[in-house]
Parts: sequence; structure tokens; C-alpha cells
Amino acid sequence: MSSSLIIAWIYASPLSTAIRDILWVIPTVQSIHILAITVLFGSAVISDLRLAGVFATDEPLRGVVRRYYPWMRNALLVLLFTGLIMIIAEPDRVLVNSTFWLKMALVVSAFTLTSLLRRPLLRPADDAKRVGEPRLVKALAWLSIGLWCVVIICGRWIAYAI
Amino acid sequence: MDIQPLLQALQDTSVATFIRESGSAFPILESVHVIGIALVFGTIAVVDLRLLGVASHRRSALRLIQDLLPFTWVAFVACVITGLLMFAANATTYAENTAFLCKMGVLMLAGLNMGVFHLGVFRRIAEWDTTLLPPNQARVAGFSSLALWAGVVFLGRWIAFL
Repeated sequence: MSSSLIIAWIYASPLSTAIRDILWVIPTVQSIHILAITVLFGSAVISDLRLAGVFATDEPLRGVVRRYYPWMRNALLVLLFTGLIMIIAEPDRVLVNSTFWLKMALVVSAFTLTSLLRRPLLRPADDAKRVGEPRLVKALAWLSIGLWCVVIICGRWIAYAI
Repeated sequence: MDIQPLLQALQDTSVATFIRESGSAFPILESVHVIGIALVFGTIAVVDLRLLGVASHRRSALRLIQDLLPFTWVAFVACVITGLLMFAANATTYAENTAFLCKMGVLMLAGLNMGVFHLGVFRRIAEWDTTLLPPNQARVAGFSSLALWAGVVFLGRWIAFL
């Protein structure tokens, strides 16, 4: 089954048609998507800057990371769900769009990096492994902020590519 | 007074014409605008939730506000600059867009809410700085701020659909 058949099948499905026909669904879903971006990006910047050693350095690293990680994970779930609705509504614009696939690859990279940097800190204190080479962690924390910025830029660009 | 001639003149400036006619200027401005929004709302939401009694990365509400306010302001200035440039590109159209006008109105209400908070209960912050659940006045300010800024994001997204 070729990808164009899959796209045509999604496009013609009752769910896809319904989302397109009810005019307020897309703007509302996109607004929720942006609100979830603010939660994810805000939490990412605050905890990555703490990991980089430039923000709230008088507060224990473990406490800061633990406070914000659940918000990041939950915001990501909302983003995946609202994103899926947008894909179902307009598969012909999204699934053939190379910017979209670049964005997905970057989301996977950014969130993998996020969990790798935080995993040692999310475990109970006594069986936690060492957090890793501080210089490397700091560099990766900055990289993580940069990756999220590129993800946002790609997201905006999906509407213009094709 | 009719402001349309004024807006037309703004729209005819070389900067505005360049933004309107260049293929990439507008999406670049939009991307920076979204990154700015993510930081503005992301950092404001952390403070608002603290005002509602949700613990943050530090106990002191005053220290938390001092930690995050510089980020909020820098990001807000970035949003205003990118917003003004996008407005200039199609000034006459935006001025007649209901979602845009409502967004500006709600933005002013959010500013007013912040002013009331800073001139009011914030002055007595020493009394409730480390209490997890602040006084009612602060909780109302936190809730209103969350609602108003979420409204700004929603209305901003709706501009493109009207």
C-alpha cells in the first residue's frame, strides 16, 4: 500500500472530514498546541539552564529537575495528541512535508536528550548513578534548548513548506 | 479620526513591503514570535501557579518572581518587536481583524491585572513570601493572569482564521 493511498484513506475518513467541517476545531487545537509548547519550552529552558549551571544555582539540581520534568512529559503528550488531530485533518499537507518529518526527528532527539540528562536525577538519591561529566552535561543542556527552538521554527515552517 | 491612511502609510514603508513580499521574512518573524510567547507564557505560568499554591523550584515567591521576570520581559520585548513588524506588513487588514483587536484588548487587561497585583498584594509579599498558599488577592491575580494570557494565545491563533 503506497503512502498516497494511506493519505487518501485518512483524508476521506469520517473523523478527518468532521475535523475539517467543524470550523473551530483546527484553530482551537492549534491554540492548545501552542499553550502546550509554552509549558514544555518554559520548563525545558528553566531546568536546562539549571543543568547548565546558570540559573537558580543555589537550589539543588535534583529538586529543580524533578519539579519540571513531569510538566515537560505531560505537555509532550498533549502536543502529540493535538499534533495527531492536525495530521488526521490534513494528511495531504503534513505527511508529504519534509519539514514535518525533520520536526518529528528533532522532537525525538530533543526528548531523548531531555530524559538522558534527567534520568540519573529522577531516581531515588541513594541508588542514583553519577550525573556524568559536568562539562558535557552543561553543553548538552544548551544543545537541548537549541533543539527545542529549531523544533518550534520547523513547526511554523510546516505551514509554508510544500 | 480615520486611521486607515496612517496604517496605509505604515504598510507602504520599505520595511513593511519587504516583510510582505519576501517569502521567508514572515515565517521567521512568526517563529521568533512563538519562541517569545513560549517564554513569556511559560515563565508567567510558573509564577501564576505559585500564586495559586502550586510549589515551584523555590519556596520564596519573591525570589521566584525575581528569578523569572527578566526572562519574561526580554521575551515580551521580542514578541512586541516581531509583532509590530508583522502588523506593519499588513496593517490595514489587521486593524479590521476582530481576533487581532480582541487580542490587543485582552493583552491590556493582562497588563492591568499585573499592575493591580504589583501595586496591591505584592507590596505585602514579605507577609506571605514563603506560605505555599498565598492570600486570596494573590490567588485571584494568578488565576486571572493564566486565563488572560491563555486568551491572548487563543486570539493570536484565531487572527489567521478570520
